[in-house]
This record gives sequence, C-alpha cells and structure tokens, in this order.
Amino acid sequence: MIQLENVTKVLSGRAILSELNLSIEEGETLVLLGRSGTGKSVTLRHIVGLMQPDSGRVEVLGQSLTGASMEQLSTIRSQIGYLFQDGALLNWLTIAENVALPLLESHKLPAAEVNNRVSNALREVELDHHGEKLPGEISGGMRKRAGLARALVCDPKIVLHDEPTSGLDPISSSIINRLVNRLKSTGITQVLVTHDMKSAFEVADRIALLHEGRVQALDNVANFRDSNDPAVQQFLEGHISGPLSRGVLDGTPNEDDRNEVS
Amino acid sequence: MTGWIEALGHFLGRCAETTGYGLVLLCRTILNLPHLFTRRRMRDCLDLIFSYTLGSFTVTAVVALFTGMILALNGGDSLASLGQENLIGRIVAISMIREMGPFMTALILTASLGSGIAAEIGTMKVSEEIDALEIMSISPVKFLVLPRMIALTLVTPVMTIFAAFIGILGASIVAANNFGVTWIAFSNDALENLQLGDVHIGLIKSVVFGVTIATVGATQGLLTRGGATGVGEAARRAVVITFLLVIILGYYLSWWYLS
Ligand SMILES: Nc1ncnc2c1ncn2[C@@H]1O[C@H](COP(=O)(O)OP(=O)(O)OP(=O)(O)O)[C@@H](O)[C@H]1O
Ligand SMILES: [Mg+2]
Repeated sequence: MIQLENVTKVLSGRAILSELNLSIEEGETLVLLGRSGTGKSVTLRHIVGLMQPDSGRVEVLGQSLTGASMEQLSTIRSQIGYLFQDGALLNWLTIAENVALPLLESHKLPAAEVNNRVSNALREVELDHHGEKLPGEISGGMRKRAGLARALVCDPKIVLHDEPTSGLDPISSSIINRLVNRLKSTGITQVLVTHDMKSAFEVADRIALLHEGRVQALDNVANFRDSNDPAVQQFLEGHISGPLSRGVLDGTPNEDDRNEVS
Repeated sequence: MTGWIEALGHFLGRCAETTGYGLVLLCRTILNLPHLFTRRRMRDCLDLIFSYTLGSFTVTAVVALFTGMILALNGGDSLASLGQENLIGRIVAISMIREMGPFMTALILTASLGSGIAAEIGTMKVSEEIDALEIMSISPVKFLVLPRMIALTLVTPVMTIFAAFIGILGASIVAANNFGVTWIAFSNDALENLQLGDVHIGLIKSVVFGVTIATVGATQGLLTRGGATGVGEAARRAVVITFLLVIILGYYLSWWYLS
C-alpha cells in the first residue's frame, strides 16, 4: 500500500531521513514513534508528495510519487486523508465549511450530499454542535478533531495522522483512539505519528521507532513492548541516557550533528 | 572580503529567485482566470472587494484631501507670485489624475492591503494550511491568489479615482480660501486643460499598481518560512518591494505616456 525505499532527505544541511525503508500493508495501522525532530512529520509529508526525496523511492497505492504528474498526484491524494499536527483549518471559514471544503472544491458534490457528509463527519468526532463556530473560537483539541473530520469526509483509503492526541484531554484522546480503531475495522490503512504511548498500544498493528533517519525497530505491539532493543527500552521507559540520546549526553556526535558541522 | 561577496551573491540569487517565482505566480493566476466564473470564487472575490474598499476608504480620503491641499498651497503660492493663481486648477487636476492619485493610492494600498495579503498567506503557509489545501487538491493559486489579485486590480483604480476626486476637492477649497480662485474658475481651468489621455494613463497606472501589490504580497506570503517572525518579515518585504516597484514602474509608465 505504502512503500518507502531508501528514502534520503536533506533539509537545511541535515540528513533528516537517511536510507529510510518502510513498508505498510493494506488495512494496517502503523504507529510511528521517535523523538522530537527525528523526521516523523517529514516522513508523512513524503507519503503525500508534499516533499520529494533527494534519493530513493516512495510508492503509494501502487503508484510511484517520484516524477508523478500533477494529475496523478491529485488522484492519489484524493484517496488520502491527512491530519495535520495543528489541524491546519482555514481561519475565516466555520468548522462545517472547513470540513465541506474538499467536497465542494475538488469533488464538486451537490449541496445536500455535502451537508449530509459534513454532519456525519462532525458527529464522528463529536463536534456536531460546533459546526457554526470559527476555528479561533474553539480549543486546540477541538480544532484537531475538526481537522480529522476534514481528513475523513472524502472517504479516504489511507489516513495519515500527525499527533492526533497530543494536547488532548484523556477523554478526547479516547474518542480519537476509538475512531482510529473504527477506521481500522473498515479496512482503512493508517499511519499514526504519536508521542502518546497509551494510544500507540491501543491502536497499532505494528510500531516503528524512527531514529537518525532510519527505522530503528519495527514490530507488532506485543513484541515491541517486550523488545530487548536498548533503544526501544529507552524510548518506552523515557530514560534520559541511552542509544537515542547519543551525542546529546555521551559526547559522541550522532549523524545529524556531524552533518550540521560539515 | 570573500564573505561580503558571498553574501552579495546570495542576496542577488534570492532576488532572482523571488522575481522568477512572482512572475510565474502572475502567469499562473492569469491562466486560472476562467475559474473566477464560478459561484464560490465570485463570492470570495466580492467579499474581498467589499472588505478592501472598506479597509482603505478612510485613510485614502484623508491622505488624498491633504495631498490636494498641499499641492494647491504650494502651487498657488508660486503661481500667485507671478500673478497666475488662476492656473491652479489645471496644475492640481493634471498632477492628481496623472501622477499623485495613482501613486499615493498605490502606497496606501500597499501598506494596508499588500502587507495584509502577505501576512495572511504567510500565516497560512507556516501553519500548514497551504499544505492542507494542496493535499485536498485545491490549488492555492486558484483558491487564494486569484480572488485577491482580481479584487485588488478592481479596487485600486476605483480608489485612485476616488483619491483624485477628493484631492482636487481639497485643492479647490484651498484655492478658494487662500488665493481667491472661485470654484467655477478652478473647475473650468481644470476641465479645459485635462485630456482624456491623462485619465487613461492614470487608470493604466492604477491597474498595473494593483496587480503589482497583489503579486508581490502573494509571492512574499507563499515564500514565507519560519513561524511568526517569518510572517512579519514577509509583510515587511512585501511593502518595501512594492514601494520600489511602484516608483520604478510609475516613472516608466509616465515616460512612455509623455513620449
Ligand atoms: N521545510 C523544512 N525546511 C527545513 N527543515 C525542516 C523542514 N521541515 C522539517 N525540517 C526539519 O526536519 C527535522 C524533522 O522535522 P519533523 O517535523 O519531521 O520532526 P518530528 O519528528 O515530526 O518532530 P515532532 O515530534 O516535534 O513533531 C526538524 O529538525 C526540522 O527542523
Ligand atoms: Mg511532527
């Protein structure tokens, strides 16, 4: 379904992704973990073609994104829902108008159908009473849920979530987790970036840990939790020193730092 | 020394890049013109025309009034020393319509609307809203730039005519009060000497300025990088670059008209 092969991306002189390999099966929910700044959002951006790799290949729904024409990219994107880290709603449109936007602008559906779909999507994220408010009038967590409603309103085959539960209260988090699990049961492929371990364990089929631009560990939930990999252990336990903080505490420069100097 | 040259090279490279981006954006907007004739884009456009007019109306009126009064005061003073104060009408009318009106309006709209467009689009850029549009296969050019460009291209000439009118009105008050030139004498002198060409060049200028303000604002907005500071920087650059372009383009348009 989603294939990243040897993807390398250098941003501001730093190799954010270096020879990253990741393969996501149809219907699978993959959780992407990693410390802040390891390139999780960058990875998601490659999957929707917002960023092109410097080298390597990205394939989505059987189509290579490298060198895809605008139309091809548009066809692929129409089957992907993307939840941005901060919702990315247009602030002069109401919540309902924001959710309706992809239906009206790119799918050009009739108004009755749009209203129907929008109210369903809003109900799913429990925002049905806030459709008439502007993004500035609701809380950050609600904005995020509205962003999720917008990502789902076009019935995508793939949903990419960038930190869907960060900044949410435990109950809202549970609403999101339940929704992710429901999407999973309908066979939608999902990639979920999160720092919220509880939600990761609740929704994931497999978990990947990103470090230094590569997949450091990748396994199903049970194996990941019991992994002997010191990096996984450090991440799960939140130890300050360990393989994931190489260069920060031990004085050994890690790859990123070296690239920054040169 | 080498650092200096390197910085200069970097700066020139960036200028070329921005210019190229702006010109491509302008062409893409023009190619997207047919999309304007949909109900949704039309409505966006009308909303913007309304808010742009409302947002720049007062300041344009005040600045135009005082510019006309200043022109009349200075021109009248010089002319009165030659006993020719009855020529004040034509001087004020021609300069307001040909030069001062378009120029002054462009500067006001740059500061109030151009910077606003840069900040608005820049904020959308740094908060990933532009990316969200692209993922939804909604072209930011069609959705954001086109209505703003059309609205400004229409509002600028209208505000220019308004500014010229108010400026001339202000001048006629000064002419009557300070130099004893009656309203009738003032307007006769103005109308007899004003040519249709003067009005044309004023309007052509105002349209060119409108397109410039919108293009530079949108370009700077879309090229914004790096959070809130980036947005401030984009707005500042939009104002500075548009000021320069308005002055330079204004000179060449006048030169073209007079030759
Ligand atoms: N457009 C860009 N230009 C330059 N550098 C970028 C760009 N986008 C991301 N980066 C850099 O890439 C690195 C990884 O960014 P990314 O947003 O993927 O991190 P992340 O893993 O999602 O972190 P977080 O958990 O904090 O969201 C960061 O150091 C960031 O500064
Ligand atoms: Mg991120």
